[in-house]
Amino acid sequence: MTTDDTERSMPTLIRAFLVGGFIYLFLVGVSSLEAGIKLLGQDTQEQLFSNVSNPVAGLCIGILGTVLVQSSSASTSVIVGLVAAGAVDIDTAVPMIMGANIGTTVTNTLVSLGSARRSDEFRRAFATATVHDFFNVFAVAILLPIELLTGVLSNAAGWLTEHLVGASGSDWKSPLKEWVKLPVGWIEDLWSWIGLSGNPLGAVIVATGLVLIIVSLGLITKNMRKLIADRVERSMNSVLSRGGGSVAMLLGVVITMLVQSSSITTSILIPMSAAGVITIRNAYPVTLGANVGTTITALLAALASSSPDALTVALVHTLFNVAGILILYVPRFIRGAPVYCAEWLARLAALRPLWAVAYVMGAFIVVPLVGFGIAR
Amino acid sequence: MVLSFFRKGPSGLEHTVSRAVGMLGDARHAYDLATLALLTGTSADAVDADIRGTDDRIDKIAVELRSELVVHISVQGAMDIGSVLGLILLINKIERIGAQAKNVLDLAEAGAVLADQPDSEALLAERAEISALFSEVADLMTEHDDARLEDLRRRCETLQAAQQEKIVGYIHSDEPGHVVVPRAIYHRYLKRIVANLLGIVLAATEPLNDQEPGALTHIDE
Repeated sequence: MTTDDTERSMPTLIRAFLVGGFIYLFLVGVSSLEAGIKLLGQDTQEQLFSNVSNPVAGLCIGILGTVLVQSSSASTSVIVGLVAAGAVDIDTAVPMIMGANIGTTVTNTLVSLGSARRSDEFRRAFATATVHDFFNVFAVAILLPIELLTGVLSNAAGWLTEHLVGASGSDWKSPLKEWVKLPVGWIEDLWSWIGLSGNPLGAVIVATGLVLIIVSLGLITKNMRKLIADRVERSMNSVLSRGGGSVAMLLGVVITMLVQSSSITTSILIPMSAAGVITIRNAYPVTLGANVGTTITALLAALASSSPDALTVALVHTLFNVAGILILYVPRFIRGAPVYCAEWLARLAALRPLWAVAYVMGAFIVVPLVGFGIAR
Repeated sequence: MVLSFFRKGPSGLEHTVSRAVGMLGDARHAYDLATLALLTGTSADAVDADIRGTDDRIDKIAVELRSELVVHISVQGAMDIGSVLGLILLINKIERIGAQAKNVLDLAEAGAVLADQPDSEALLAERAEISALFSEVADLMTEHDDARLEDLRRRCETLQAAQQEKIVGYIHSDEPGHVVVPRAIYHRYLKRIVANLLGIVLAATEPLNDQEPGALTHIDE
């Protein structure tokens, strides 16, 4: 029996327990990050995060950070941790969250490059991948200015937070925070025991938190994917046989909430699209559902802190994606816009695959870097 | 449909195999009707709609199953790629049997008469023997049995050799064309159907590289 066979045949119950353990580890990571930042001191925090106070810089950092870790779940959880620690305020965090939404689309776009040598397959795969990009860019282009002018998303999220846990600004006793207190204390004690204190101690605890968040999220995704693979397969077949629409969107939400990764959901669609078994119009709502489903991770991360602001930012992430769907998908006259743009770009990319590479490099690395350089 | 996500249900390659077994049942139905029309004088018009409808159903399920296999690989990863390739081959072969049954019907509709001939009894026995192979193949698709597989392989090879012998006999026959040509064509179809049946079992049970070239059939054979 190979390692893969052993992994496959692991009893469901054991795997479910493992996932529970990794979720706990993830919460410990978020809480450690918060604790580490608090130890860094006000001056250091200001030095580190003053660059992202400009919304465009925040947006670009959100994109770059997510591209770097290839997971919006991880990057939004970090942003929630930063808000919980008070290092970043809600206004600064909102553009970063929106940037994370754009950055996460790079994964399925990279997956689609795998079929670059077969023009027709590539055209379909690239269109399905980039429809996610276009939707998120359009959503940011519409909602970021509105948010900056009116604060509608953060106000709505704040209102929700107030009704869920009490007035913003005051502390609330999250039960999850209590559960993770002990191991976070152990991490602090361990690094203090080897002689670290002050900023170095804070930095090492932040690093420990980051590692825990990224590793545990990866392991949650890997194990949940195995746990629900048969169900995902069956529901994808349902999408194929009964078409897309709101049901496909709900499936996207459910699958992504369970695997804690929109990249997994959207990347599954790419080979299916390349082979021509799913159309871009049927894949599109699944992608939008994945956008909403992935916000569960930031909400979970917010529960590991006792800061209402952290919960507000996590709720902004959810509201942003829901609002994006309401604006760009529900009205029929605009629904096709991201699809047309994606198909246009895919036709270009199919003719010259170099365009696809230039697009990925430009949209996800060069433009955010330049944007950050100018706006910071 | 969303709630179906949380319910248990058929999925994976076993589901595909069980639907392929259903396809094979349809292919047998089409074969039985088409050969009945040719060998017993049953009106071809009476079975035409049934056979063509069955063949359309086989083709439709084949498309669905191929999609499901793509979904399987997309979701589960490349772990099952060998089985998936085998299943794609298997589905193609069942599709071909459906098409070949339709070809036999075309022969009957074109006016070929093999009913009430001196060898009618032998032809009907041969038809029944091949029809029985369908259920054996279906069994072997779901339950691997080396001894039964070997026995089936031997019988299929014998049947194919017998068909080939008849074809060669008709080619060199002194009888008129309208007598020997339909028979040669009919036996050619039977040979292909038997080869496809053996190919189905091998695709379902043997690694791709171990499949015998003799069992592989091509559309242009």
